[in-house]
Amino acid sequence: MANIIEIKNITKEFKVLNRREGLIGSFKDLFSRNYKTVRAVDNISMTVGQGEIVGYLGPNGAGKSTTIKMMTGVLEPTSGEILVGGNVPYKNRTKNAQEIGVVFGQRSQLWWALPLIESFKILRDIYQIPEQNYKSMLELYQSLVDIEPLLHKPVRQMSLGQRTLSDILAAFLHDPKIVFLDEPTIGLDVSMKSKIRTLIHALNKEKNTTVILTTHDMGDVDALCRRIVIIDKGKMLYDNDIEHLKGFFGSYRTLKIRVDGDLKEQSGVIQGELPDMKVSADDEWISVLVDEDKAKVIDVLGQIQKSRSVRDMKLEEISTEEVIRKIYEEGVK
Amino acid sequence: MKRKSLRFYFRIYRKILAQDIKSKMSYRADFIISTIGMIFTNVAGFISFWILFRRFPSINGWSYHEMLFLYGFSLVSLTPVQCLFDNNWSLRQYVYTGDFIKYCFRPINLFFYFQSEVFDIKGLGQFAFGIGTLVYSWNKIGLDFTPLILLKVIVFLITASLIMIALQNAAAATCFWIQNSFYVLDLVYRFRDYAKYPITIFNPVFKFIFTFVIPIAFIAYYPSLVILRPDDIPLLSWLSPLFGLVFFWLSYKFWMHGALKYNGTGS
Ligand SMILES: Nc1ncnc2c1ncn2[C@@H]1O[C@H](COP(=O)(O)OP(=O)(O)OP(=O)(O)O)[C@@H](O)[C@H]1O
Ligand SMILES: [Mg+2]
Repeated sequence: MANIIEIKNITKEFKVLNRREGLIGSFKDLFSRNYKTVRAVDNISMTVGQGEIVGYLGPNGAGKSTTIKMMTGVLEPTSGEILVGGNVPYKNRTKNAQEIGVVFGQRSQLWWALPLIESFKILRDIYQIPEQNYKSMLELYQSLVDIEPLLHKPVRQMSLGQRTLSDILAAFLHDPKIVFLDEPTIGLDVSMKSKIRTLIHALNKEKNTTVILTTHDMGDVDALCRRIVIIDKGKMLYDNDIEHLKGFFGSYRTLKIRVDGDLKEQSGVIQGELPDMKVSADDEWISVLVDEDKAKVIDVLGQIQKSRSVRDMKLEEISTEEVIRKIYEEGVK
Repeated sequence: MKRKSLRFYFRIYRKILAQDIKSKMSYRADFIISTIGMIFTNVAGFISFWILFRRFPSINGWSYHEMLFLYGFSLVSLTPVQCLFDNNWSLRQYVYTGDFIKYCFRPINLFFYFQSEVFDIKGLGQFAFGIGTLVYSWNKIGLDFTPLILLKVIVFLITASLIMIALQNAAAATCFWIQNSFYVLDLVYRFRDYAKYPITIFNPVFKFIFTFVIPIAFIAYYPSLVILRPDDIPLLSWLSPLFGLVFFWLSYKFWMHGALKYNGTGS
């Protein structure tokens, strides 16, 4: 698989003014400017192959958007190298722009006053899309989502969800090699989120477009990404398949059971019987966190059943959400 | 990918313009009210001019009708900046909120793309007023009308427009460096009101400022000397087309320099 994106040791630093407080402070700022450097991206390297969907994750302020701005040529890295489709984005901004599509959630790039179809026509001219490709792209869109009601509506009159959908369609219109999606599902309802996930998935399959996706919604990750890259405070924490990441925390599963009697009380008793495991209870379930490297779930269940009858049970895998939360809170061990 | 030709840009501009006008017209009340507003602004401007100057047969050797010529000339030469570069007024807001980033993702010239987004139709009314005033004063002064003069008028109108555009570009682009750039833009906007008076009526300090610092004297005064005072044309008048081109180019470079160093605030 040829690499479409190659990033080597990039760092981005911002100089920000240390503002002093109060009126006197701002007066002082006028004369002596006291800067501090913020390192938003710190020595990050990665490569992405054509056709991959990469989930680019990290807590707020981690440096995700900054990295994307560097890959799209808006920002120049302070140091390090980036190649996107063979171009140095910052040096060849317009050339790079021809090869990529970008969506920043909640910031529409479409012409505010124009109906979507007119925006598409202008984009067709700007990107010099051959008529044949343009038509077949519209047909593809038609088959994936119900765009008819959107086409003749001015962007200004669209709901946030419709606008985001339109922006994504616009980003794919010229069949770019890579599409950058920065929080495309932010602020959308469940049904629109799922519509957008399906759309991204289908376009990636159909056109083999590389997608770099940042999001805070692990539903997006589960639906779309096999590979995730996690950064925090500008530094790379993790870059691998998501399954592999779950393995980092041992092969944990949660066994949930219901028994007769007071659940809180019973969970204390069970904890006594299973000292190696973490047992807790809420209003409905007693949860037993089982490390499958140490014990089999079925054996644990058997042991619990020895001294009481289990009325109901279910088994839960550790969710992506939990894994990511653990990493944000504790880092990768 | 080959370099994009002027024709390419022209076609895109025409497309955006056509769509923009179409969508503006669809808001009929809005369109009518802004048209009426535009007519009033121009009439009011004209009346105040008339009240100020009708009583003087001449000021510093400038007759009332020559002053009117200058007035018309400045109106026409201010049309392009009004119609085509009006988005400069919003630049500050885009930069401040971070929305400016959306202009950075297209494979076309950034300056062009930004300016193409807004076409201010109201400027056309000003154009009509300006042409009317020019024709009227032209007759009253009794100027000849030959193809050569027409050519001169056109060349110098373009010159004047370029200078005004350049001034506005430069003023707007200051927002890439300073936060309160509105005042800079507003200042330039106010100064351009002085463009319609012959520079000789100002005292030497302002004369110097308006020629070399904020060169609004090139908007109407120096260019119209070529038409109105053909026997005694200062070198600066002849140089003004060159000056206009250079100044426009510099302002473009300045604008682009700011836009490219823009570091994408907001997420
Ligand atoms: N233009 C800028 N000037 C100064 N500091 C900036 C600028 N842009 C970003 N930063 C800082 O860089 C860091 C990373 O910001 P970035 O927007 O890349 O985070 P993010 O990962 O996209 O976060 P979020 O998930 O909240 O969108 C933050 O600390 C932010 O304050
Ligand atoms: Mg962000």
